[in-house]
Amino acid sequence: MRKGLRPLLIVAACCTAIWGLIAYNQPQLYHSQSYVFGTLVDISIYGEPEERAKTLTNHILQDFQHLHQQLHAWKPSTDKQAHELGALNAAFATGPKPINISPRMAEILLDATKLSQQSNGLFNPGIGHLIGAWGFQRDEFSAVNIDKAHINNLVKTNPRMPDIVIDNNTAYSKNPNVKLDLGGYAKGYALDQAADYLRQQQVNNALINIGGNIIALGQHGNTPWRVGIQHPRKPTAIATLELADGWAIGTSGDYQRYFMLNGKRYCHIIDPRTGYPVQHTQAVTVLIPPQAAHSSQAGVLSDVASKPIFIEPMARKSTIAATLGVQHYMVIDQASQAFVTPEMQTKLTWLDVDFKKHLHVQATTLH
Amino acid sequence: MFKLPHYIKTRIKTKTRVMRIGDWCVVSAGIVLVVVLFQQLWSHEEATRVQIRLGDTIYGTYSLNQQRDIQVQGAIGAATVSIMNGKARFSQSPCHNQYCVHQGWLSRSGQAALCLPNQLSLELIGETKHYDSLNY
Repeated sequence: MRKGLRPLLIVAACCTAIWGLIAYNQPQLYHSQSYVFGTLVDISIYGEPEERAKTLTNHILQDFQHLHQQLHAWKPSTDKQAHELGALNAAFATGPKPINISPRMAEILLDATKLSQQSNGLFNPGIGHLIGAWGFQRDEFSAVNIDKAHINNLVKTNPRMPDIVIDNNTAYSKNPNVKLDLGGYAKGYALDQAADYLRQQQVNNALINIGGNIIALGQHGNTPWRVGIQHPRKPTAIATLELADGWAIGTSGDYQRYFMLNGKRYCHIIDPRTGYPVQHTQAVTVLIPPQAAHSSQAGVLSDVASKPIFIEPMARKSTIAATLGVQHYMVIDQASQAFVTPEMQTKLTWLDVDFKKHLHVQATTLH
Repeated sequence: MFKLPHYIKTRIKTKTRVMRIGDWCVVSAGIVLVVVLFQQLWSHEEATRVQIRLGDTIYGTYSLNQQRDIQVQGAIGAATVSIMNGKARFSQSPCHNQYCVHQGWLSRSGQAALCLPNQLSLELIGETKHYDSLNY
């Protein structure tokens, strides 16, 4: 070897070694974004080799896709196996004759019924006909002609979850007007499924986001996972918080699915008592700690629990939150004022100065 | 000034004429340190870019320090992403409800606009991100 080359070689070797060390110390974060469930699914996995993280993510996405087909509320049921909910709704409409359902569907319906009763019927996945009447059972939606008489009639038919009788993997409805729409349940259920799957696969650190509902496993390296909360009217985050292992967060907002008519906003969250979209609230965010086994899981609760709090008027929000056992929540009303519980306030790091300045901290009422 | 003996002078000369392994290590470590510090401290200060995602892939990442319109063929049609003086937005989209266009200009790191029907998203990157994922 010529003498002149040697120093160069040494430099190259040193550089490679140092770069190798830096690359090794880089956080091993795998991040994927896909469109499933008619929404954006965003999965981060920390500390797993990229190939494994990719395989795990694909498995989760396939499960989501399958669940989406099974629970889709308004696709015509061409294939019985794939669109189980469509077939079930068709059976409900024809009369109280039991049909077979999958064990998974039975589990979902029992849990959803329990939560519906617990929320005094404010969380009501049986009002599919109402949601359809407002035009929200479409991939694309626009202003509808509000047919007051039709809506009043639909409310009078009083579809309730306890109308559904589930027995030994069969189901029927005592009320033919029950039409299931699991739009306020399915994403949360999918979060729990994904979290369970990753735990089974011994993945300790992951963050799963389905259409805004997020669940955390472990943490992001040495620090907890941090999530931002969307501003209801601007494309930015108003605050961030740390999401600890097993915790989930969900928001119901009037900015996700809505249409404007004569200067008024009509959002997809409908009060089952009046049949009309809720117009007094911009957003409700709930933070849910890990739950005991055999009760509704954190993901489901993060999806479900925000709806009754959103629907109830300001004066009654804390009561329904207490009924649902939700301690950490934030409400943003139509005047863009934020109300948080003291428990929630300790978790939040504010980014938006206006919200922080006009913040109201209110204790949850006790039973 | 005292005079160094002749034999010491010659020894210093011979030692400084060639750089040894240790010297090269110090030099290369210095180079690497400069590069790392440059990347860590310099680029994160200034660079603000917009990342366009199409479906599950990154369509492209563009500097915000320019003025241009980018045509992106999405799931349902062609959308236009405009970049102007540190800001970016959806300026035209084939989607029905036009939420993405109504999001307006994005200018801060971490801001995002999303077009679900067309499976397109914009995200501003550059500065340190405030969070791992967004709840909405």
